[in-house]
Amino acid sequence: MTARSPLAERSADLGRVGARELAFLSQIDVRVDPAGATTLGFPTDPNTATSGGRDVLWLGPDEWLIVGVPGATTAIMHELEASLSGLHCSVVDVSANRAVIELAGPSRHDLLSSACPIDLHPRSWDDGRCAQSVFGAAQVLLHEREGVTRLFVRPSFADYVVDLLLTVAPA
Amino acid sequence: MTPGRLAHGGAWIDRSKPVLFTFDGTELEGFQGDTLASALLANGVVGGFRSPILGRPRGIHAAGVEEPNGYVEISAPWFDAIAAATTVPLVDGLVARSRAGVGRLPEDPGSVATPRVAHRFVHVEVLVVGGGASGRAAARAASQEGDRVLLVDEHPVLDAPATGSDMTILANATALGVYDDGYAVVLERTVDIVVWHVRAGRVVLATGAIERPIALAGNDLPGVMLAGAAQTYVERYGVRPGERAAVFATNDPGFGVADVLRQAGVDVVRTVDARSGELVIEALGAERLERILVRTTDGREEAFDVDLLAVSGGWNPNLGLWRSIGGGLRYDDERAAFVPDGGPPWLSVEGRAAGDVPAGTPLWFVEHGDDAAKFVDLQRDQTVADIAEAVGGGLRSVEHVKRATYIGTAVDQGRTSGVLAAETVSRLLGEAAGAQGPSNARPPYAPASYLSLAGPTRGDLLDPIRTTPMHPWHVAHGAAFENVGQWKRPWFFPRDAEPMHRAVERECLAVRNGVGAMDASTLGKIEVVGADAPAFLDRMYTNRMSNLAVGSIRYGLMLGLDGMVLDDGVAMRLAEDRYLVTTTTGGAATVLDRFEEWLQTEWPDLRVYCTSVTEQWAVVAINGPRAREVVSATGTDVDVAREAFPFMTFRDGHVAGVPARLARVSFSGELAYELHVPAWHGLEVWEAVMAAGEPFGIEPYGTEAMHVLRAEKGYVIVGQDTDGSVTPHDLGMDWIVNLSKGDFIGRRSLRRSDLVRTDRKQLVGLLPDDARALLPEGAQLVVEDTGRIPMPLAGHVTSSYQSAALGRAFALAMLAGGHEMHGTTVFAPLPEGTLACTVTSPVPYDPDGERRDG
Repeated sequence: MTARSPLAERSADLGRVGARELAFLSQIDVRVDPAGATTLGFPTDPNTATSGGRDVLWLGPDEWLIVGVPGATTAIMHELEASLSGLHCSVVDVSANRAVIELAGPSRHDLLSSACPIDLHPRSWDDGRCAQSVFGAAQVLLHEREGVTRLFVRPSFADYVVDLLLTVAPA
Repeated sequence: MTPGRLAHGGAWIDRSKPVLFTFDGTELEGFQGDTLASALLANGVVGGFRSPILGRPRGIHAAGVEEPNGYVEISAPWFDAIAAATTVPLVDGLVARSRAGVGRLPEDPGSVATPRVAHRFVHVEVLVVGGGASGRAAARAASQEGDRVLLVDEHPVLDAPATGSDMTILANATALGVYDDGYAVVLERTVDIVVWHVRAGRVVLATGAIERPIALAGNDLPGVMLAGAAQTYVERYGVRPGERAAVFATNDPGFGVADVLRQAGVDVVRTVDARSGELVIEALGAERLERILVRTTDGREEAFDVDLLAVSGGWNPNLGLWRSIGGGLRYDDERAAFVPDGGPPWLSVEGRAAGDVPAGTPLWFVEHGDDAAKFVDLQRDQTVADIAEAVGGGLRSVEHVKRATYIGTAVDQGRTSGVLAAETVSRLLGEAAGAQGPSNARPPYAPASYLSLAGPTRGDLLDPIRTTPMHPWHVAHGAAFENVGQWKRPWFFPRDAEPMHRAVERECLAVRNGVGAMDASTLGKIEVVGADAPAFLDRMYTNRMSNLAVGSIRYGLMLGLDGMVLDDGVAMRLAEDRYLVTTTTGGAATVLDRFEEWLQTEWPDLRVYCTSVTEQWAVVAINGPRAREVVSATGTDVDVAREAFPFMTFRDGHVAGVPARLARVSFSGELAYELHVPAWHGLEVWEAVMAAGEPFGIEPYGTEAMHVLRAEKGYVIVGQDTDGSVTPHDLGMDWIVNLSKGDFIGRRSLRRSDLVRTDRKQLVGLLPDDARALLPEGAQLVVEDTGRIPMPLAGHVTSSYQSAALGRAFALAMLAGGHEMHGTTVFAPLPEGTLACTVTSPVPYDPDGERRDG
């Protein structure tokens, strides 16, 4: 028996737009007061992310998404629960709640700007930025990371997002 | 010299690049950089068009988006039902035919070539609309400040200013609208279309000015042209628009055109200066201009043979975009024009658009001659006589005159006729100039097709199609799908060519007598976490959730503030401070938003966090007497024995080798298990269940069987049996409303006098006397069938099915005073005859719940 990632059948399509799926990443949603987050070293500047052994993405004043390598969910959750012990917080496994598409190549921001309304110009969008927005009619979370852009999308919308990427990509 | 292409000149055309095109069936040649209009004039096509209402001959009158006459349908290389020839960039293979101001959609939309449309979102500090001298200066200045600049111009060629690094320049690009806070939509048109969604810190409108015609008898003949347009055709396109010309103007630049024409070899036989009292009082000709009559200052009339009359009645700052976003206007007497006056702080106007237009003596229409031949709106075929008739009929505002005459409502949006009509009304009423003001302006500034605005969002991408992890299996097994919001859910699984009712009957019987499996992944799921989660849920649901034991499940009903049923679902208590609540498929986002709204705006003191996990979990619902055997056969480390795993509890463990939460909840009334597994295991667990269930005759079933099964048990579906006007009491669900636990949303409304009436519509079951008669959902019910319409209506059918388990048709209905009417007969008058039905309890099957534990 094997798990099946949401875009398992779309790797060729993704390849046509310089993208690939990052399957089975560990994702944990953390809700906690910003004061508590500071002690953990979470980014508190809106729409920024830190990358280290794992990524921490600012989603809101009291919400972060922790992203780690596949299979690390349990370890990360235990660690977070220990660090946040005694604080009012919520730590929820959302690893399967979003598919992750990685877009590479110099024209990736132009491609995204076909259907994503936020400012992806280098003046306001560079490494370490993240933002919740839309791609077409799908909610997406974008994360600019080490020269690539990650697009987090609910699995039920993943095919739609790939189809839209293929449609807006230059012929 | 005949009209046509000059031997030299034409700043915007590239004579090294000939372009072949077809107009009204004739193949012609132009140059890259031409518009269709300039290419037509270069080929000596001076007329070629007809007016839409009167069918009068017409020709190119202007050189830009203000064109009222020269409208075409384009059929290649793209399709456009209607476009101004002055705005169509000439491309190889262009096929156009003249259209009398009214477009026609193709009979078969699939038969026409659609352009490729892309949308682009772009953010800049400064958007400059208009690439003339003022626009280029504004763009250059902003660029030198280091700003990102977007400069757009509707013309095909744009002289680029010296720029900084972050300037984008778009030619053939029309700003369709400027909206609040610097949002603008720009349509860039070549062969393809790009719609730019621009977010700008500030917007500069350098939209220039539009020349005014003068209404004189015969002013619609081909060969009567705005003076500035004649100049444009000479200087920019190297086209001579006539052979023998006269110029009739109220201002100096108008007469400057005479020199331009002469240099192009045009014989300018007469200039007529309205400021001195000279007038052109009539333009004459059959199919095109042949002669003009001039009335001199001493009252003599002189005739001149000409084929071109260049007219300039002054200049209107082009303020359509400015006014559409709330910019004000005032009338400037010296310039005889409306100029900008007060607008949003992020919006500015430069150059001629700001009022920097030549001073002149206003002349709106010539008093002499036949008013019915003095055209004000060429595209609506409306004249000074038509305005006089409207004013004579008592209309006193240009807005009313506009609605009586349709002046200004054609494709050209009244760019040449708007101010002229307003001032003509003022003159006829004896008012001061500027008293009326032009009628209002709204986006889009220029016609845009729905295709452009839709962009890629059409066909299968019109709305996202959401699917579950098990979707590939459903497709492979021939499921018929039902749209539930954006979700595609299996509706039923037909075998061979089985009709729907057979498939649904088979699926229902499998669940009642054996076992069936359903993909329930679309249920909304929210984790509610925090020390105050129990108290919070007590306030959100009608029943108590705080005393739910860890490991147990409770059904809950949620009301609106008005006491009406809003959503339902179950709550699982995962820990003292943690619940997982489910919502209806369509209500997931609404419920989460509602939770957040109450937590953030009303109860910030509550320590509760909510997280959507709808798509974290795939859910397989296994229902039927043999469900327990199927779960065991699938392989689980959870003790599923009847005593060890009671109804409305859950266990965490494994199924088919993957982590799973098993829940004993049932929406069919049968023994049932839900398997919640991480979404990426959904397909494999579904396949494992189907394989393990094969010896037990497991059937996949869809939403239709699910609906039948739940209706047999009287379980309502929020949004089907309810419609936002139904209380728990109406549903017979007082048992779930806990009035002793403290306040909850909707509680106070339940005491309103209207909500405690005993004759409210209440949920009942209906058994048609003819056991095979299926009541249509939505059918109205009456207590007494008088046979005469109208009859007092007593209720309506909300759900209706053929039930295999009951061996008959049955229905759920909302019936006035229905709780007290069990056993009585009501009637459904239908076009094909009246159906008599017996009112029953809404739980026709297994009313004592004896089947839930298998």
